[in-house]
Amino acid sequence: MQSARGGAGLLRRAQSLAALLGILILAIVISPTASDGSRIFLQAGNLTDILRQVSLIGIISLSMTFVILTGGIDLSVGSILALATALVAMFLTRGYTTHIAVAILAAVAAAALAGALNGAVVAFTGIQPFIVTLASMIGVRGLAKWLTNNQNIDIGFGKDLASEFAAIFREKAIVIGAYALVAAMFWVVLARTVFGRHVRAVGDNEKAAEYAGLPIRATKIWVYTLSGLFTGFAGVLYAAENHQGNPNAGVAYELDAIAAVVIGGTRLSGGKGSISGTIIGTLIIGVLTNMLRLNNVDSNVEMMIKAVIIVLAVAVQRERNGT
Amino acid sequence: MSAYLQTVGITKYYGGVCALKGANFDLRAGEVHALVGENGAGKSTLARILAGSTRADGGTISLRGEPVEIATPLDGQRLGIGIIYQELDLFPNLTVGENIVIGNLHFAEGRTVNFRRMEEFCRPFLDQVGLACGIRQTVATLSIGQMQLLAIARALSMDARIILMDEPTSSLFEDAAERLFGLIASLKHRGVSIVYVSHKMDEIFRVCDRATVLRDGETVGTVELAGAGVNDLIRMMVGRELQFAARAARRPAGETILAAENLTTSKIKNVSFELRRGEVLGIAGLVGSGRSELGAALFGIDRIESGTLRMQGGSIAPRSPRDAMTSGIGLLPEDRRLQGLMMRMSVLENATLAVLTEISGLGFIHRGQEFSVVAPVARRLELNCPSTSAPVSQLSGGNQQKVLLARWLLLNPSVLFLDDPTRGIDIGAKHDIYRLIDQLASDGKAIILVSSELPELLRCCDRILVLNEGRVTAHYDAGDATQEKIMSAATNAEVRT
Repeated sequence: MQSARGGAGLLRRAQSLAALLGILILAIVISPTASDGSRIFLQAGNLTDILRQVSLIGIISLSMTFVILTGGIDLSVGSILALATALVAMFLTRGYTTHIAVAILAAVAAAALAGALNGAVVAFTGIQPFIVTLASMIGVRGLAKWLTNNQNIDIGFGKDLASEFAAIFREKAIVIGAYALVAAMFWVVLARTVFGRHVRAVGDNEKAAEYAGLPIRATKIWVYTLSGLFTGFAGVLYAAENHQGNPNAGVAYELDAIAAVVIGGTRLSGGKGSISGTIIGTLIIGVLTNMLRLNNVDSNVEMMIKAVIIVLAVAVQRERNGT
Repeated sequence: MSAYLQTVGITKYYGGVCALKGANFDLRAGEVHALVGENGAGKSTLARILAGSTRADGGTISLRGEPVEIATPLDGQRLGIGIIYQELDLFPNLTVGENIVIGNLHFAEGRTVNFRRMEEFCRPFLDQVGLACGIRQTVATLSIGQMQLLAIARALSMDARIILMDEPTSSLFEDAAERLFGLIASLKHRGVSIVYVSHKMDEIFRVCDRATVLRDGETVGTVELAGAGVNDLIRMMVGRELQFAARAARRPAGETILAAENLTTSKIKNVSFELRRGEVLGIAGLVGSGRSELGAALFGIDRIESGTLRMQGGSIAPRSPRDAMTSGIGLLPEDRRLQGLMMRMSVLENATLAVLTEISGLGFIHRGQEFSVVAPVARRLELNCPSTSAPVSQLSGGNQQKVLLARWLLLNPSVLFLDDPTRGIDIGAKHDIYRLIDQLASDGKAIILVSSELPELLRCCDRILVLNEGRVTAHYDAGDATQEKIMSAATNAEVRT
């Protein structure tokens, strides 16, 4: 009885992995074939394209997992990403600096600061995270537009600093490598560190965390700060990939990131979830999108199919005993 | 006089725990009948069964000699039985009028709200209870006393001939309580029967005609209060056997480690005591007497408004549990599920939560060390679990409590406040916890033990402090204390020594 219930957790994790495998097999089976008879889906170029396409949302959803584990939510990530794209492009194209690293650091630091502000307000006022980050989603978007006069800041293809930056950071290997590195880091932090343990404890039972003397406020401030920081980093990659700083970038990214987290089996009310689940959730969305596009499915239909997948994934993984 | 409402052999189980086993009770028309007993005796459960909000597992209820079935609150309403819960089940964000008419079989609601009709329906009942407020006023803006009157007006509007009141004065100030007693007298005069669940002896003797005493889910007996005294009732309430072997002989206590002087928070008033190393100080008192709130004051949860707290001679003023822990105070909370455990985390993770910094380096938890520090503590507590990586939700109540105790044993504070540590756990685990308390005291720890079970306090403690309404009403050495003395001090408001 007890081991059967202990096995249920494993089974649920296996279920999300099985869902990913199922979609992979379906994608292979229905993949259109190239002139030489090979399946386009399986071509190395296509597979790495998928990874590259999911990398930005993937990075954001990793830090979002920590926020959601504490029982919070971060709706401001799309706006913070836009701010970071704008800042990195401004620093590079307007001669504020001669070092690529300085521009990147400035953008990431500003994003982390925005996240820290979210965290401080959540931790010290007790206002619901949904409302706090909804407000900063609006406010930070405004800041990004104000800084840029609502203009895209283009990054060229020449020999200047900005072009050099874009050439490096739009490399597939760099983008995918960055995602893999950040994922490994979050995995280790959640599984092995005191901070990771605190994150889960606060989300599991905040009252009990108080009685155990845990640093609840510091934990909350840190998860929102990390969310801002890594979203800022994703913004830097976005600017390189799209050759521009765009104050209107990242709209609805928060929803994509949350979708990846919940498909991965993390409870929206906190306390239970995993980084491996979020990675699987991110890949499920990526493979699904790629499969539908290869088969020329209308992008509007694609959205409808995604909607069904999200509900199905969560329904299958839902805990039946209500704890 | 024949019984108006009668119950025979009512039983009720919650999971495997028996809340009522054979409760017999009869109520006459137009009487005020007290239902008394210790915490957990089954008073509230019986009241809920009569009102239909809880279903009995066995036994019969009859009204005017006819057997009746009360499966839902609506059944209760049809039979003329109303209940005023201790926590007042009103809708705080709805209006006074809406609270009265909602779910009321005597008011036919139309498709739209008609305030004039609502006013006509509600006003007579509001007048009867003496509540002068508009029917459009939001309930949250009323005082607790006014809410109570509203709850009674609602019961009256449902044509209740029997009104059950569960601890009606627990949150009322003196003048509001007086108004309630006046209302009870006038309701009785009009032939309404009232079941008055309370443990306040002075009130019971003042407003009630008869009292039925419950103990451990069974009816001990019913007495006419006119011919009885407080001590008769208390004897009936406590007569539980001392079922535990007496504690091993106690070594002399060491030096004073914790001293509170006139400690006052919003919930406790002028509480003073001294606690020595190697000593177990018992705190007796009913739920709401301030016993858990004393822990909240010591552990930095409730703000200390005045008075002093000295730990090993130095003055302390803990502002958070973390502060208190740094000063060497630990607290095992009353509700292990809400305040203690992370139900989705493992036994191991729950046990080490407060000592993570000691078993980690550079922020990384040493897993081997984590396992090796928990193993001996788990053995000492005789913790029974499939593996320490199993979620605590899979353990029995007693083992869950042991996991929480393990958390404190690992932190090893000099003063440990145990808030009702044996609540809802099996007898074997209780004995293990008693043994642990003895051991900790022998090791020179100072223990404060809160308990609802008097035999438990008599078994474990060197001294016993009795609290009532936030004040210390008695202070006994273990040798002088009896269940009767403690219960008497816990139920009477006047100070005695």
